Amino acid sequence: MSAQAPALRVAVVPARPDPIPVYRDDGPLALALGRALGPVVKLPAPLLIVLGLLALVAAIVIGGPDTSLGVAGAVIAWVVLTLGIASGTPPRPRIRWAEPPLMRATEYTALIWIAALEGPDAYPAAFALLAALTFRHYDLVYRLRHRGVVPARWVSRLSGGWDLRLIVAFVLLAAGALPAGYFVAAGVLGVAFVGEAVYGWLAVGRVQRPLEYEDEEDEGQ
Amino acid sequence: MSGLSDTRTVASAAPASPPALRGGTSVRAVVLLATAPAADGGSAALLPWENETILGRLVDQIAALGVPRAVVITRPAWESDVRAALEQSRAAVAIEASASVPDDLHIVAQLAGGEGDGGLVVMYGDVVTHTQALAGLLADPRVATGILAGGKRKQMVFRIAARRGRVTSAASPYHAVHRPTSAFLGALKVAPTDLEALGRVAERLRPLAANPPAAWEEELQRKEGMWRLSLYRAALDEEELTAEPGAAEPPAEEEPVPLDPATVELSGEDEAHLRHRVAAAPDDTAALLLVGLVREGAHIGMSYVRRLYWTRPLSSDDAALAEQEIAEIDEDRVLLDSAVKGADGFFTTFFVSPYSRFIARWAAHRGFTPNQVTTVSVFIGLLAAIAFATGERWGLITGAVLLQAAFTTDCVDGQLARYTRQFSKLGAWLDSVFDRTKEYLAFAGLAIGASQMDDPVWLLACAAITLQTARHMSDFSFGGTQQQVLAASVQPPIEQARDSAGAAAEARRNTVVDEPDQPPPRKPLPARVLSAWHVIDRVPGVRWVKKMIAFPIGERFAAISLTAALWTPRTTFIVLLAWGGLAAVYTQTGRVLRSLR
Repeated sequence: MSAQAPALRVAVVPARPDPIPVYRDDGPLALALGRALGPVVKLPAPLLIVLGLLALVAAIVIGGPDTSLGVAGAVIAWVVLTLGIASGTPPRPRIRWAEPPLMRATEYTALIWIAALEGPDAYPAAFALLAALTFRHYDLVYRLRHRGVVPARWVSRLSGGWDLRLIVAFVLLAAGALPAGYFVAAGVLGVAFVGEAVYGWLAVGRVQRPLEYEDEEDEGQ
Repeated sequence: MSGLSDTRTVASAAPASPPALRGGTSVRAVVLLATAPAADGGSAALLPWENETILGRLVDQIAALGVPRAVVITRPAWESDVRAALEQSRAAVAIEASASVPDDLHIVAQLAGGEGDGGLVVMYGDVVTHTQALAGLLADPRVATGILAGGKRKQMVFRIAARRGRVTSAASPYHAVHRPTSAFLGALKVAPTDLEALGRVAERLRPLAANPPAAWEEELQRKEGMWRLSLYRAALDEEELTAEPGAAEPPAEEEPVPLDPATVELSGEDEAHLRHRVAAAPDDTAALLLVGLVREGAHIGMSYVRRLYWTRPLSSDDAALAEQEIAEIDEDRVLLDSAVKGADGFFTTFFVSPYSRFIARWAAHRGFTPNQVTTVSVFIGLLAAIAFATGERWGLITGAVLLQAAFTTDCVDGQLARYTRQFSKLGAWLDSVFDRTKEYLAFAGLAIGASQMDDPVWLLACAAITLQTARHMSDFSFGGTQQQVLAASVQPPIEQARDSAGAAAEARRNTVVDEPDQPPPRKPLPARVLSAWHVIDRVPGVRWVKKMIAFPIGERFAAISLTAALWTPRTTFIVLLAWGGLAAVYTQTGRVLRSLR
């Protein structure tokens, strides 16, 4: 390396979107929280997400399915706050890979817990909702990997982002609309996610991009 | 009389012939460098091959792959011979006489700036290889800009280092690779988007190749010493005869050289070989262009020859031997074996791939496409889920068998795609999405079945889908950020002979020399844990155990089938959560350590 001039660097293909923010699947509220409070809080994003997840786990362990609606609402608000701020804290390049898996673990656990507060009868509906959401979260990855694009804006708006989803799920619980509400959400989102993905492939543009990596699963070598 | 008909003759003796290549290439022209000398001083590309020459065979192979044009660059002394050799060729060939490497580079720069759709390939004109090996590079749309890569122990090649499917460093006569992982087998494909960079690199290299900087000359001398030592060692060690002298460099360049190259005596034959290698080395336009593109920061992928044949004959005897060796190879079998993914888990490698490749061959000869097989696979997966949902013992057993069938067909589609070289982005997306679909359908089926048995497990099913999705997200995110680190790493300028890793290693050595009394600085704890972790990989079987702990897809499907068939859906989910949880702790610990070192 040394004092010699660095080599010329050229953008050979149109810039691929940074994957981590795409995988996070933030909604408008989370992004607003990140913009407003992220620069102030400054904690590493994975740590903030762990703080949200820990509060959730504590509530599940202590209160379980008997937690009162008020406490549950406070826990969900805390989760939205911590994970939302994490979208805007100064980036830590070495550990930012930990954000998407921690966020999915937190979001899905919260959705399951909200179903648990309704009662065991809501678990099948929770499974259906998670199944629909996994389609989106894998599609975010695979579309970016294989075509270098993200889903259409309307479908991302409809999905709400993890933040609005958690809030809507809690409102459904409070309104006594579970488990039917989860089934309806699973149906609407599932049709939208799959339909938009298929439409995206039909209208595919022919962009040549290099293969990023061949192995389906990174097994930690 | 073409090389292609030779290949067909060979294949017809075999049980089955390789599938026809479908689709064309996006390559507008191949530049063949017929500039390397053979041992007798003639052109290596003009060595005899059956009724023609190696160059003629290559031109025919390229035409068979659908490339519209070949440009042969040769030295003025060989021009008339090249013309005579290619006279009967029906392919569109242009022949350019060029006096030196700088002139070769100028021709490449002009071609790169020329009109036309598609990329360019720059390759040695004296390579003997299977058409399918070339197809792997030229006809695979997933490799935009890339090289043919393969074993380090080949004759007359320069080495490369690659990480995550990307060339991070390449050697040339004047450039060294620190810790090489593979070798550049003389074919460089440049996508249209990188042609501008190719032209710029070629023009930048011209004055340097005409008048090599001191660091380059030094590196060439170092290589001569290394080649001399490796020839010497090969002569000493009879077992090392397979090491094809002339290519071998010591694996770790950091190790002190115990012998002084200047004092080593070689046999007459080896001495002649070394003289030839040293004389021919600077005449390597392709390797220089590759180093130039790597140093420019271009994303360069790889297509491995795997078990397909590849050699660069130096004499008529070498060529005759190659003719004999390539005739002995069952090309179809080799191609089929090469279609099996290298990095699969234990269950997939030992319990599925051994037979799924023959299903892939059957499907290829029936004309099935990979996407059709993928669709069949998800359909079988759906049937498995329905069988699980009955909640009856026969249903669980049927479901277990169907799930294994779905997994086998899933392996078949990838092998079929690689075997017939039909790659598509839609296919890759479908394959990935349907894999997840099958797995989570099985979860749903098992949970419904458990409810039928009055033992509801929906909560466990929810937990299992959460754990597996989070584990996958970690794989994707970690891989993605590692890619970004690679893309952002700054390459040293082309004038520098060492790559960044080599320069860093040298800097470390120099600090030790400067302060001999100081003990070398201790590595941080995470780095020490990781190196210890890699050391135990040398124990036989440990690598497979580590792969199994990570709970890859083959193991997961086997665990689902086995537990569901023998016990209940509840057992299945408990095993999935326990094994998956262990895998999560194991892989996340490794990743955290690697992020902190």
